[in-house]
Amino acid sequence: MESDSEPHEHHCGEHYGIFTLKGDLPIQGAYRDICYEPVRGNIWTASEGIYRTIFVEGRKSVIAFDTFGTPGTARAYAGAMNRVFPNKPVETVVYSHEHLDHTGYAADLAPKAHIIAHEYANAVIDARGSSGQKTANETWNGERTEYDIDGCQFELIYPGPTHGDGNVAAYFPQHRTLFMVDTVADGVGYTTLMDWHLTHYVPVMKRFLSLDWDLFVPGHFWAVSRERFIEILDYWERLFDFAQEAIVAGVDPHDWDQLNAWTDEHLGPHYRDEFRYYEYAAMNLSRYMQEYLTGGWGIEGNIKPALSPL
Amino acid sequence: MPENRGMFTHEAAQAYLAHEPEMQIEALSERLFSVTDGQCRTLFAAGDSQVIAFDTFGTPGRARAYRRAIESAVPGKPVGTVIYSHDHLDHAGFAADFAPDAEIVADVLCAKVIKARAAEGQLPATLVLEGKRHELNIDGVKLELLNPGPTHGSGNLAAYFRDEGVLFSSDTILANARYGFMPDYHFANFVPFMRSFLELDWDRFVPGRFELTDRAGFERGCDFIEAVMIECQNAFMNFVPIWLYEPMKGFVGAALADTYGDLDGFDGHIGQMAIRVVHHYLMGGWGLEDTPEARALLADEVSL
Repeated sequence: MESDSEPHEHHCGEHYGIFTLKGDLPIQGAYRDICYEPVRGNIWTASEGIYRTIFVEGRKSVIAFDTFGTPGTARAYAGAMNRVFPNKPVETVVYSHEHLDHTGYAADLAPKAHIIAHEYANAVIDARGSSGQKTANETWNGERTEYDIDGCQFELIYPGPTHGDGNVAAYFPQHRTLFMVDTVADGVGYTTLMDWHLTHYVPVMKRFLSLDWDLFVPGHFWAVSRERFIEILDYWERLFDFAQEAIVAGVDPHDWDQLNAWTDEHLGPHYRDEFRYYEYAAMNLSRYMQEYLTGGWGIEGNIKPALSPL
Repeated sequence: MPENRGMFTHEAAQAYLAHEPEMQIEALSERLFSVTDGQCRTLFAAGDSQVIAFDTFGTPGRARAYRRAIESAVPGKPVGTVIYSHDHLDHAGFAADFAPDAEIVADVLCAKVIKARAAEGQLPATLVLEGKRHELNIDGVKLELLNPGPTHGSGNLAAYFRDEGVLFSSDTILANARYGFMPDYHFANFVPFMRSFLELDWDRFVPGRFELTDRAGFERGCDFIEAVMIECQNAFMNFVPIWLYEPMKGFVGAALADTYGDLDGFDGHIGQMAIRVVHHYLMGGWGLEDTPEARALLADEVSL
């Protein structure tokens, strides 16, 4: 378990996540420029161009969501928040979920901060013992919990298995804003939809439509409207049909050329103008095909979640 | 009559589900046989009065073709026991079409996933095993079922036939490089768990896909996966854009071509493998299965 902020044993002098290489790990310490801008009310958003998160201004402190995915980026994120609120330290970190690329480096971001996570996320973090990823000081369970921290009111919502473990949304009803990481983002999905629990994914995400919000801040790229959120979920839903059609057509999900050719012919007319289509649509399809070939993956990928409105 | 559907919802899938391919059988000993449809592979054994079969293949048609292949190799003996290698439908999805009255043996986590999934045609386990090692004698067939920990899928059981010098492990190590995107692999302990099988005395390995190999081929397969894991880390450290197929294929492929480029399917699959494996390091593994002391999150929420 990573429980302090002291330098670790890797000779490169940086926290090293789960890397096993013994040599230099230059990417861990590399500085990244962080862009930041206000969202609504006391909510701000930060990004290094690919990853995105939010931070919230309290009366005396800042509440940071997530850490970014390397020690260098975590420090840059801390610097960005300090630039915006120079007299308000980061005293609380809220983890969206357990993956290192979003929450791996609280030890570099704000080593003394109070960390909040869903119990499912923290169970994985505790077991993983990754260098730089601190376990939570406070966990919660169930679907919803309300917070009022240093004058910041928000709700954390665990809708069911979506991506990773214990992946929670932050809901700011007073600002009609929803933040959730690695679920909906603009365009087609990322690679093969790593660690997505696909079987019940769309209906679980649609539970958020029972809440009153019109701005969605994702964990990557830019914010989207409620209407765009629905369009993106529609893409995910339609991929279930395309995947079945591809299997029936005899497409091998691991034949890269065949997969791309079928994707271009069948998804292309509908989606080729979408952001990242040429990078990932074929990979998206391959993952969906596996859903029918193998079934859902693990308990998280098969257990039937609550699907009632939130 | 419509076929059992697994997870399919489209009517158009019926023809795919019904197709019955030719099966190729290879005798490994007097009572042990390997069988393949050209893609997936499994194993069955002739007991004194029944057949002990691993898995079912991945559609109702394939399951029926598998049963007929068994009947041709071992006439007059019904399939009395089916052992699930793991939970995935492409291997263990259609016992309802293969041997609906057989005893079905599975690891406890496999059994829980199958119960939660409730796929049409995938029968639940009737004999659930817990633990890492089980010595069994089923109708005169002696074998050990081994679960070293999470490798691929849920509750993946290898089978060790000491008398025949045969090890069977489904969708773990292959005799080639045709791993694709490595769906539902658990990398944190994969290589050490697989290498633990080398402590046993066997010289023939039956994988869950493609051709058979020997002990040296299995060891090389472990080395290959380990090498991919190392080169994916090196890609990270060299600022390769890890989210892109071509750069990852280029970096990892070039690093490993001299050593492993002769493996069948290397060029077509190394990019896919690299994309998947590098995300193990980016994200930290997937779930409790992918941690040093592997367990399964939410397993207590499914009762058997």
